[in-house]
Amino acid sequence: MTDAKLTHFPEDLSPPRERPWFFSILIHVALIGASILMLYPLLWMLSGSVKDQNEIFGTASLIPSHFDFSSFPRGWFGGQVNFGSFVWNSVVIAVLSVIGNVISCSLAAYAFARLNFWGKSFWFALMLGTLMLPYHVTLIPQYILFLKLGWVKTMLPLVVPKFLAVDAFFIFLMVQFFRGIPRELDEAAMMDGCSPWRIYWRIMLPLSLPVLATAAIFSFIWTWDDFFGPLIYLSDINTYTVQLGLRSFVDSTGSSDWSSLFAMSSLSLIPVFLIFLFFQRLLIDGIATAGLKR
Amino acid sequence: MTLTIDRRQLLAGMAATLAFGSIGLGRANAATAMRLLWWGSKERADRTFAAVKAYQAKNPDVSIAGETFGWDSYWTRLATQTAGGNAPDLIQMDYRYIFEYARRGTLLDMTPYLGKSLAIEDFGAPNINSGKVDGKIYGVNLGVNSSMVVVNAAAWQEAGVEQPHDGITWEQLGDACAKVTAAKKRRGFYGTGDQSGGEPALECWLRQHGKALYTNDGKLGFEAKDAAEWFAFWAELRKSGACVPADVQALDQQTIETDMLVTKKAAVSYAHSNQFVAIQGLVKEKLDLIAYPSNPDSKPGQYLKPSMLMSVSASSANKDAAVAFINYLVESPDGAKTLGVERGVPASPKIRDLLTQDLDAISKQVVDYIGRLTPHVGALPPAPPNGAGENAFLLKKIAEEVAFGKSSTQDGATKFVEQAAANITRG
Amino acid sequence: MAIGANAPARVTTIYKAPSAFSRNAPGYLFLLPWLIGFFGLTLGPAIASLYLSLTDYNLLQAPDWVGLDNYVRIATADDKFISSMKVTLFYVVCSVPLKLTFALLVALLLNRGIRGLPVYRAIFYLPSLLGSSVAIAVLWRQIFDADGVVNTLLWYLFGINGPSWISNPDYSLYTLVILAVWQFGSPMIIFLAGLRQIPTDLYEAASLDGASKVRIFFKITLPLLTPVIFFNAVVQTIDAFKAFTPAYVISSGTGGPIDSTLFYTLYLYQEAFGYFRMGYASALAWILVIIIAIFTAFSFLSARYWVHYDD
Repeated sequence: MTDAKLTHFPEDLSPPRERPWFFSILIHVALIGASILMLYPLLWMLSGSVKDQNEIFGTASLIPSHFDFSSFPRGWFGGQVNFGSFVWNSVVIAVLSVIGNVISCSLAAYAFARLNFWGKSFWFALMLGTLMLPYHVTLIPQYILFLKLGWVKTMLPLVVPKFLAVDAFFIFLMVQFFRGIPRELDEAAMMDGCSPWRIYWRIMLPLSLPVLATAAIFSFIWTWDDFFGPLIYLSDINTYTVQLGLRSFVDSTGSSDWSSLFAMSSLSLIPVFLIFLFFQRLLIDGIATAGLKR
Repeated sequence: MTLTIDRRQLLAGMAATLAFGSIGLGRANAATAMRLLWWGSKERADRTFAAVKAYQAKNPDVSIAGETFGWDSYWTRLATQTAGGNAPDLIQMDYRYIFEYARRGTLLDMTPYLGKSLAIEDFGAPNINSGKVDGKIYGVNLGVNSSMVVVNAAAWQEAGVEQPHDGITWEQLGDACAKVTAAKKRRGFYGTGDQSGGEPALECWLRQHGKALYTNDGKLGFEAKDAAEWFAFWAELRKSGACVPADVQALDQQTIETDMLVTKKAAVSYAHSNQFVAIQGLVKEKLDLIAYPSNPDSKPGQYLKPSMLMSVSASSANKDAAVAFINYLVESPDGAKTLGVERGVPASPKIRDLLTQDLDAISKQVVDYIGRLTPHVGALPPAPPNGAGENAFLLKKIAEEVAFGKSSTQDGATKFVEQAAANITRG
Repeated sequence: MAIGANAPARVTTIYKAPSAFSRNAPGYLFLLPWLIGFFGLTLGPAIASLYLSLTDYNLLQAPDWVGLDNYVRIATADDKFISSMKVTLFYVVCSVPLKLTFALLVALLLNRGIRGLPVYRAIFYLPSLLGSSVAIAVLWRQIFDADGVVNTLLWYLFGINGPSWISNPDYSLYTLVILAVWQFGSPMIIFLAGLRQIPTDLYEAASLDGASKVRIFFKITLPLLTPVIFFNAVVQTIDAFKAFTPAYVISSGTGGPIDSTLFYTLYLYQEAFGYFRMGYASALAWILVIIIAIFTAFSFLSARYWVHYDD
């Protein structure tokens, strides 16, 4: 075990470490097998999008008896509003949410993780408490609040809270990661006379890229998948998000266009997938590549 | 978009416009701006938006913003908006919910409009009354509807058993279905779905026996022994193999896609007549629809009810305009033609005649059915008490307990009656 | 609640006799957006729901004060409270450990130098992307119903004729546990981020000392990962307690068959929006908050003994 390459590689920057070739193959076989299990729903959705309506529910077969791609144009152009505008609305809301969450939650998390102030434990407990309340019961009071603010029918109720760090999940997440960053670093900076702001901006954030990327990924995906918020707050069909648009294909009491639902569901995975691929590049950076020495 | 704009709304509006730059504001400057909310399929959305457009063209001072959702999301949204005092002007209502909403003062009493801007007298008393709660009109019938039995004709032919028809008795249906199962022409295929947990079926059966789900004064209209008889009937069918086993029936979630006939588990299933077209759309083989089974000495069990209603919010600022629009949908040839029979068979005879001329064969089957059924139906049942909605789910749950053998038919029936009564008291 | 966010006083000793203001101001300044959000958007609705829990509120009319009636009913006369709590506890106890173990194992595997890693990671996250989609409901039924994929496999591999898993009250909850475990993407990503944050020099030093891989894992990786493990455990537990969508989507909101998948929040939702009992639902919600808070408090207490922070 003298091979120095045993250490922890940022794998995209370095070659795979040496290991017996059969071992590599074994790992890949296992990973590919697992991948099929994970990909199954996507394949199934894609196959559902080209199937006949009565084939979707009548048979469990993954392979369609014929290929009918008309569900894609029907789903995209068929509604009152082009599906593309749902995608655009979702992207706008999701991007704003990512920005809001990353900024506001990291500020709060820095305070909880590193600063010392009166009542910190109390606020921290309250912050965690907000994670625990089921949203169904706060839905109506919140709705009335936003109605009084005149925000209903706009996307403000979906976006503004993100800039005020109401997602305690992200604060807690960042607190845990900030606390894992060696304290010597900011103590040294503080000795040098750095303000808390500079420490936050110059030390904490750059060293926390993995968790910031994680928060960004989750913010985007969860906002993208959110159905309840848009359902309550958006009225004009022009402002609908993808999730609202998708549900408009389905009505449990009448006829539904399942092929279009599956077609558009598959398409609507593309933006999230791209975001995921983009941000996971940040995920693999972080301390490991920061050349950090303790 | 709102008409009166203060600074806060202006800011909000600016933000929204920035974000949705490409989206026009529609007819924001119309004098009368209303919101219309409905649930339903894409076809319903297309037809409703078309009707709105046509109406706006004729009434330039009116603008109607349509909002549509699936059934499940619809009620959460409506409840939230109503609770917030921001209900839409025009609300598509369901027979199950109209009592809840009307009795709590959230809907407009349209009785004063009857015979004036709401010219629906030709509906006839039953179809006007079906929109009444405690004697006042809170909803206008958008389509006449009844429960039905759907029959997969091909499957019956294949099994070599005579297909069920109007007037068949419950016993005969059970026997015939057992034969279909025994014929074993398809894998995992049974004569009928298990309807022991279906409230419309139980209600029909009770009424045929001179009972009811609920009495006029809002109490349970049956006893444990009636429920036990009902559960026992289906237990017998399960035993004879006529109906699907419990774990197959539990796949049915009372949606169209999970219907036992649609999923090819049974040759007979049960639904509402306005769903026939959608069910046929999911099944390649030709389907027929017939009335519920009865007994030789039975009283009328089925009744005509609205597939859905249109109501006006009590807090609407444009009540007159809203009522006028409803009238346009159900009584003007223009509006009614645009909507078609997608929401059910129109209650107005003149509109019905107008529409049947150019109906497709499947929709015609539905119109025929309602025509056939009408002489045999009974009166509308009394208004269900608060808590009745919960009892529909309770019935399904207890029927499942019986079917899975976790309760005897007798215990299940006792439990059902006890808990159903408790739900009503609780409201 | 005893919370672990008590940083030692090392930082403050750097200043000479700081005033109360300069000691507290930076913290509150950084906390400002959250404080505004908390007081402006969260606290009000939360208090409102606490108030509603003491009323009879049918959503459509003004609430009627009933005092503790709702809580009394929950404690004494509500069978569904007990049965839905049982379902939820079972779900929490089964799904959380399984999901976390799975996520950690996959994260460790995916953290190594293997070709095509980004692709694998993305693929493994895919099921989580589909989280609450309507499509999942249909898919899950096709996998677990009587002649679904699982039973077909069982038949060909072992000749077993399986039951209809998803519609049998004895098994239906397991299919939801499997769904939860299958959607292990979020904790996996967080574990990955955690693994990336372990300073490489520690591994270098350890490997120079000739430590074995197993030893490195238990002496370096695992201890340094404890804050992240702790986070995932707490958050996943809270989430599992609040789980709503899986049961709602898969059982069409009924919680059936025979209430076997009636999660606590699904029951709460039915009460609130199905039967117009928002007051009662609010009381149910606060009972849930208390139960979750007790669990969370215990995990924070235990954290002192096994979670390693660098401070």
